[in-house]
Formats: sequence, structure tokens, C-alpha cells
Amino acid sequence: MKRFVTPSSACGKQTPVAFAATLLVLTALATEAIAQTQIFDPKTREWVDYDKTKARQYYARNKQLPEAFRRQIVPFRTAEDPGTIIIDGNQHFLYLIQDGGQAIRYGIGVGRDGFGWAGKVRVGRTAEWPTWTPPAEMVARDPNAAKWAAGMPGGPDNPLGARALYLYEGGNDTIYRIHGTIEPWTIGLDVSSGCIRMNNDDIIDLYSRVAIGAKVIVLMQGAALYKGI
Amino acid sequence: MTRYDHVSRLACELVPGKLLALLAAGCMVACQTAPPPDQMARTTLQTAPADLQLLCANAVATASKVDSSKVLPVSSSALDPQSFNVELSASGRKFNCVVDNKGVVKSVHPA
Repeated sequence: MKRFVTPSSACGKQTPVAFAATLLVLTALATEAIAQTQIFDPKTREWVDYDKTKARQYYARNKQLPEAFRRQIVPFRTAEDPGTIIIDGNQHFLYLIQDGGQAIRYGIGVGRDGFGWAGKVRVGRTAEWPTWTPPAEMVARDPNAAKWAAGMPGGPDNPLGARALYLYEGGNDTIYRIHGTIEPWTIGLDVSSGCIRMNNDDIIDLYSRVAIGAKVIVLMQGAALYKGI
Repeated sequence: MTRYDHVSRLACELVPGKLLALLAAGCMVACQTAPPPDQMARTTLQTAPADLQLLCANAVATASKVDSSKVLPVSSSALDPQSFNVELSASGRKFNCVVDNKGVVKSVHPA
């Protein structure tokens, strides 16, 4: 497998040490988050909160995501060109515009409270089984991350999953990516450091359909940061 | 009047009005219409669908004569079950747009 070092990204998995250290913080953030994902429970016929714990239980029980977050064709009224990617960070959907007023809709996981962003960027490059380079602060505090300071090779344990689309603003890498994940139950949740995560089957499908240079519009109410506008 | 008569009379009085109202109220809680499977997820924010937000972005670009690449929806909310208000930034200028769920832009004006 060809290996190359990439700039550190905003994306990635929390190692066990970091996870343990920040679990309480994440729990607090999830509790305080303004937006709460909900799914409709057909048994009780009620909308119920869908948090990280319930999402993990659902995935363990059903071996797949709730239907709304699965890949599907939907109507989409737009003047944007086919091949454009529209990300609705609040509703946790990524749309790939098709001909005929339609789009392919995928479920996504997005930045947690304070890490959401919005704007207009482009796909600058793409990679299969991308290298993950932990950010410097993670390397400094976590010995498990430190061993990958020069980059963790792509593979089934790599937090970026099977494919990555690198998002650029002009000619510059934004450090944000659309990528796969080794935690598929997190689709539909606000969990990342700003990257857009998809399950591996979906990112492989999207990667096969997207051209370098494709426009990416990111909509996110309450974004902490704006790019490209 | 027997106890049975009293209950029957009470039931008859309730059926046309109060009983139906009680049934309707109960149904609102217990008989909530299930959305189509592809719509069985939402967030409590209830933002406008992405396509409607972008239709507003096009309308604002036209109305403000700002390059469409510099127009971005930044916030949205449901006005009623049929329409949404979308707030947009156009090169730093703020606009409000009202769009209905059929994709018809009803109004665009500076915030």
C-alpha cells in the first residue's frame, strides 16, 4: 500500500486515554447541545432523543443505521450543478446532486458543539485508505497518538476509514475532510472535531461519484466558523 | 332512575361532544401519524430543508446583485407547517427570505 504523510487534520478518533479524559466533557456537551437528533419510534409512535448511547444500542441491535440515515435517492430542488455536494449539518445529511431534480442522500456525523462550521469549499484531492496524522496537541498528551505522529497508515483501524475527500478553500487545505469511520453508529450525531464522517460503504460510493474540484456547500446553523465566503 | 340509566344518560351526553374531544385528544398523543421511513429522523432545531435554504440563497443573490458564491444561509426556522424563514449572509449583508415547502420563494428583504 502506498503511504504518504498528510498534514494533520481536524479529524480523527479519540484514543482510549484521550477518550477517558474527555468522556465527562463530551457527556456535558451532549447534554447542553441546543440541537438534539431525534428518531421516530414506530412502536411507541413518538419522537425519541437519539444520543450516542442510544445510537450505539440501535446499531448493535439492528446492525445498521436508522432508515433515514441510510443511502437513498430523494427529490432535491436546486439550481446547483449535478456533482455538487450539499451538506446539511443540522439534519445530518449529505446530498450529492443528480440530474432531474434528485440527489443521493447519505447520513453523516458532524462537528460537536463548538466545532461545527459552514461555507463553500471544493474537493481538493481524494485518497483511498487515507493516512491519519493526529494533531500536535493530541500527540503531546497521548502516548498512543504519539506513535502515529508521523502518520497512521490507512487500514481498517484508521479513524479516517476507507476513503477521504480533502476540502480546500481556494488552493489551501482547510484541514476538514469528508471521510469514512470505524464508528458507524456515530452517523446522525454531532461527534467530530469538524470533519464530516460517513460509514465506509457510503464514503466508498461517494468517492466513486465525485470529481476533483466538485463544489461543496456546508450549511450549519450555529456554526463556529465560516469558510470560503 | 337506576344506576344503569344514569350511566347511559351520562355516556349519551358525552358522546357527541366531550367524548369525541377526549378521543381526539388521546389520539393526538397515541395515534401520531408515522412519517415516511426516509423522514424518521430530525433535530429539535427544525431548520428548513437544505434545498429550500439554497433556493432562498439564489433569490437573495438575484435580489441583492451579490455574486451567488458569496451568499450562504446561516439560520432558518419554521414559520408554520407550510413555510420557513431563512436568514442569509450576502457578502456580509444580512437578508431574510420566506419560502414555502413547495419551493416557492414568498419574500426577500434586508434584515
